[in-house]
Amino acid sequence: MGITLTYTEQELVSLLRNRDNKAYAYLYDNYASALYSIVLQIVNDAELANDVLQEVFVNIWRRMEQYDMSKGRLFTWMMNIARNAAIDTLRSKGYQNSRKNQSIQENVDTIRVTDVLQPGVDTIGLRKVLEKLKAEQRVLIELAYFKGYTHEEIAELEKLPLGTVKTRIRNALVQLREYLK
Amino acid sequence: MNIQEYISSGIVESCVLGLAGEAERVEFEQMCALHTEVRAARDAFELSIEQQALAGAVAPPVPLRETILQQLAAETVPETIRSAPVVQMRPIRRSAVPVTMRYVAAAAVILLAGSALLNIYYFNKYRDYNQRYDQLLALQTQLAKNNNAMQTRMSNYEQTIRGLTNPYMARVTMEGKDVPDNGSPDPGSVATVLWDTRTKDVYLMVNNLPMPETGKQYQLWAIVDNQPVDAGMLDMSHGHMMVKMKNIPRAQLFAITLEQQGGSVSPKGPMYVMGKV
Repeated sequence: MGITLTYTEQELVSLLRNRDNKAYAYLYDNYASALYSIVLQIVNDAELANDVLQEVFVNIWRRMEQYDMSKGRLFTWMMNIARNAAIDTLRSKGYQNSRKNQSIQENVDTIRVTDVLQPGVDTIGLRKVLEKLKAEQRVLIELAYFKGYTHEEIAELEKLPLGTVKTRIRNALVQLREYLK
Repeated sequence: MNIQEYISSGIVESCVLGLAGEAERVEFEQMCALHTEVRAARDAFELSIEQQALAGAVAPPVPLRETILQQLAAETVPETIRSAPVVQMRPIRRSAVPVTMRYVAAAAVILLAGSALLNIYYFNKYRDYNQRYDQLLALQTQLAKNNNAMQTRMSNYEQTIRGLTNPYMARVTMEGKDVPDNGSPDPGSVATVLWDTRTKDVYLMVNNLPMPETGKQYQLWAIVDNQPVDAGMLDMSHGHMMVKMKNIPRAQLFAITLEQQGGSVSPKGPMYVMGKV
């Protein structure tokens, strides 16, 4: 075991860029759980989440040079990698195959019934905060953040004008921020 | 646009969570670079998201840690630039070498430092041993000298004993009181001549003679038919040992006078002792 190391974010980033094994162990020990919960909120399947988490760390390792400290915190960058990896997995063959005959509309219905109301996952992370939003806002965030749909896709799905979708999402996010405080 | 309006429009959250479009994101980055307030709002939201995520963290299965870390350890350094294939190769080579070279360099530095320390240590030891060697060498020379001196004295004694025990050795005792007219400056003086009757070699043994002043030396004379014949100079450093003098075939008397250093052709100085054969 030995000494518990702590790094400043700058030191950590520099070590991660040098592909320092200890730094990656530190990263895992401090952030794997947080990233795992983000992945779990999206894929909603523990086994699938394990694979995604692995992919997340490999992606962090491979793309470390692309991280730009001036554009945001390391965690934000990793969180977005985790979210993208989870959404990609969700959209990949397994997910698509099981629902290949469903239209996007049906897909959204399924989300509402199963995913949003799924117990367990609802009680963690952003989803927990999401509970406090109005239903119409919650669906939009669900589609945009947890399913990774673009505003245009959502507008089509929800049969709403694009501007309305944008405004509602923005408003929902501002409320989210207040809840997070 | 009013900065506060911009901040409270939801753009901060949208960009941080990755929900913004490309154009919005680029604009946001510019706003962050230009306005500290926008940046501060971004930092604050990022921090609250991070804290919320850490608070709501779900631990992944324990064995996953090893799997992932092992996989990372096995990863090769990625190609960072995609456009030019030639350029792509460089980061791999450049980074691949330093990893090994860094260890080699570290090892070299450690070895160098260790070597330098050993050099100092062994140099000090060398100096120490060198000094001790010199001391021993001096001591050894001293001992050898002493040994030589002892051997010389030893052989002198042996010779003296051989002379004294030799049955063919005639013994002539010269005494201060035998000097005519009480002429000896030191009447108590005694010296002995040992005269080999076969070889006619003359040996002298000082029993008691005062130390001569500097520049003066005792000289032995053989008186042959009333004529003094030089029988050799006496070196007082031999002490009471028998010292070989000259070969004197015939003599009636032996006497010792004090002469100038190196001796005289005929006796000039005072006679100290005399003895009849």
